[in-house]
Amino acid sequence: MIQVNNLSKVYKLSKKQMVEQRTKKNMKMAVENLSLTAKPGEIYGLLGPNGAGKTTTLRCIATLLKPTDGNITVCGYDTVKNAEKVRECISFLTNEIKLDPQFSPKYLFHFFGRLHKLEEKTIQERRAQLFDYFGIKEFEDKKYEELSTGMKQKASIAVSLAHDPDVIIFDEPTNGLDIVTARNVTDYLKLMKQEGKTVIISTHIMSEAAKLCDRIGIIINGALVMEGTLAEILESTNTKDLEDAFFELYQLHNKEEA
Amino acid sequence: MMNGTQNIIKKELTRVFTDKKMIFSLFILPAIMIIGMYSLMGMLATNMIKDIESHIPNVYIQNAPDDFMDMMEQMRFDANINNIDSEEDIAEIKEGILEGTIDLLVVFEEGFRDKIDAYQNVGDPIPEVKTYYNTAEDYSNAARSNFVENVLTSYQQSILSERLGNMEQLQVFYIDKDPTTSIIVDEKKADGKILSMLLPFLINIMLFSGAMSLGVDAITGEKERGTLSSMLVAPIKRSEIVFGKLVSLAILSSISAAVYAISIVVAMPLLMGGFVGDQMDINLSFSPLEILQLFVIMIVLVYLYVAMVALVAVIAKTSKEASTYVMPVYIIVLLGSIMTYMGSGQSKLKYFLIPIYNSAICLQNILMGELTIAQFGLTVGTTALVAAFVTGLITRAFNSEKIMFNA
Repeated sequence: MIQVNNLSKVYKLSKKQMVEQRTKKNMKMAVENLSLTAKPGEIYGLLGPNGAGKTTTLRCIATLLKPTDGNITVCGYDTVKNAEKVRECISFLTNEIKLDPQFSPKYLFHFFGRLHKLEEKTIQERRAQLFDYFGIKEFEDKKYEELSTGMKQKASIAVSLAHDPDVIIFDEPTNGLDIVTARNVTDYLKLMKQEGKTVIISTHIMSEAAKLCDRIGIIINGALVMEGTLAEILESTNTKDLEDAFFELYQLHNKEEA
Repeated sequence: MMNGTQNIIKKELTRVFTDKKMIFSLFILPAIMIIGMYSLMGMLATNMIKDIESHIPNVYIQNAPDDFMDMMEQMRFDANINNIDSEEDIAEIKEGILEGTIDLLVVFEEGFRDKIDAYQNVGDPIPEVKTYYNTAEDYSNAARSNFVENVLTSYQQSILSERLGNMEQLQVFYIDKDPTTSIIVDEKKADGKILSMLLPFLINIMLFSGAMSLGVDAITGEKERGTLSSMLVAPIKRSEIVFGKLVSLAILSSISAAVYAISIVVAMPLLMGGFVGDQMDINLSFSPLEILQLFVIMIVLVYLYVAMVALVAVIAKTSKEASTYVMPVYIIVLLGSIMTYMGSGQSKLKYFLIPIYNSAICLQNILMGELTIAQFGLTVGTTALVAAFVTGLITRAFNSEKIMFNA
């Protein structure tokens, strides 16, 4: 269960960043007054263009960033006051978080298992189960740096799930993956959902959001402009597919900004 | 608390010790380089000395008196002697000395012997022997000093004894007929004095450079590669990560410093082979308490250095940036330790409150065998305090969104 209440996140910009972003303001509102709830047994998709605030929101949920305003609870714990407890029950995956290139998936699995204070026996069992599912067995002793992109992604996912987390936060899960690996990942997310986990992902790929997510939140310029099931979104925007709905909303809300 | 830290230490050490390239570049290469470099330098120095010794100098002598020539023949001074008379132009010979083809020119004053023989009273003329040589040429230097010490001095002595008959009249009294029996010294302190200048400096450099190369990779490198964030989402405290990183780095830096120290001890005789041997005949012995003190100081010091490097490394965005930022810190450490050259054996307690410098003078005093418990306590205390403060800063940096996520 993830509950985001009126989340706002403001970044202070350095002089260099101000020049880069061609702005005279030294503050940037990355997320503004955003609320959402993701429940167990569903996949919640944050859909939005690059720079809309998807990653910032997910990082706030994963305790890596502190909200400027508002609060977030994950599994009943506050992400600021009980950050460690939150980290115990989540798995956070992004393309920016990578595993140590010199270690094998097997070593890393045990390392993170121990960081999560798991018993050695539990780690063994989880490893057998997950490595089997993702087909990691044959390269479990190879160094991470020697693996192909697909293998790396599989290994990262398996390692991040070592502690059997209740909440799975996945930033752009299929970004940069080939079709086969991408399918592997989305299949696993579906399996997680069936197991009653809370899954939240961010994406800018419309088809992925439409196919995979039970509920979709559309985020534009840091604000959640619409939330609902695919059908609900299509109905309220009076469109036939998600892409049309997205552009409808994008034009509407970008105009307001301008 | 300790669980996460231990786990990280184990992983960091595994990372280095399972990587053959790392082991080679961190521990084996420095040893090979130091031993190789020192023995090469020693060999070159020996060769140079041998070469100078075996060289037969070209010497020109102008206006040599007859009895001088006789003496030269008797002494068999090994040189190509060219006698020239007073009319000859010495400008060309000087040119030869400048170019290095001629090693020495000796000019006896006109009427040299006559002036000596005619000497009676104070104020009568005293003749001169003038030597011309090139200080930039090893052969020329050696030829001149050999000529003056062996030939000219004996010539002078022989004329003196001729004139005075009794040489003892000149001696009046002796100073230290047997100099070795004059010295009353604490052997340890005397030996320690040479080492106490050099060793604190060397130890500081070795400890810091070890920490420098390892720390930048272990922290900025991990930040760059994105592997640090994977630990940040694990349910452990930031301080556990920081402590785990610092302790493992301290262990590795200590090993690397030990490799340097052992290599230097092994290589020293090879280097000194080229020079006089007995200067290196230094015996050091420590009491158990001194060994313990040395050990404790090294531990807190290496931790402080690792923490200083880590602080810079965590703030830097790229490894390149980190290597640049770490240089001023390195210079501060060098300055702190080089100050032991100025005075040996500081005793004022207030100096033991200055971090880095206090460790250097502490090491110095241990080597001299005169470290007091108060000095030791103050040094370890301040170093540990500063190290703890820096560790706190690093933990704060780990908690900073700006630093960790550039947000």
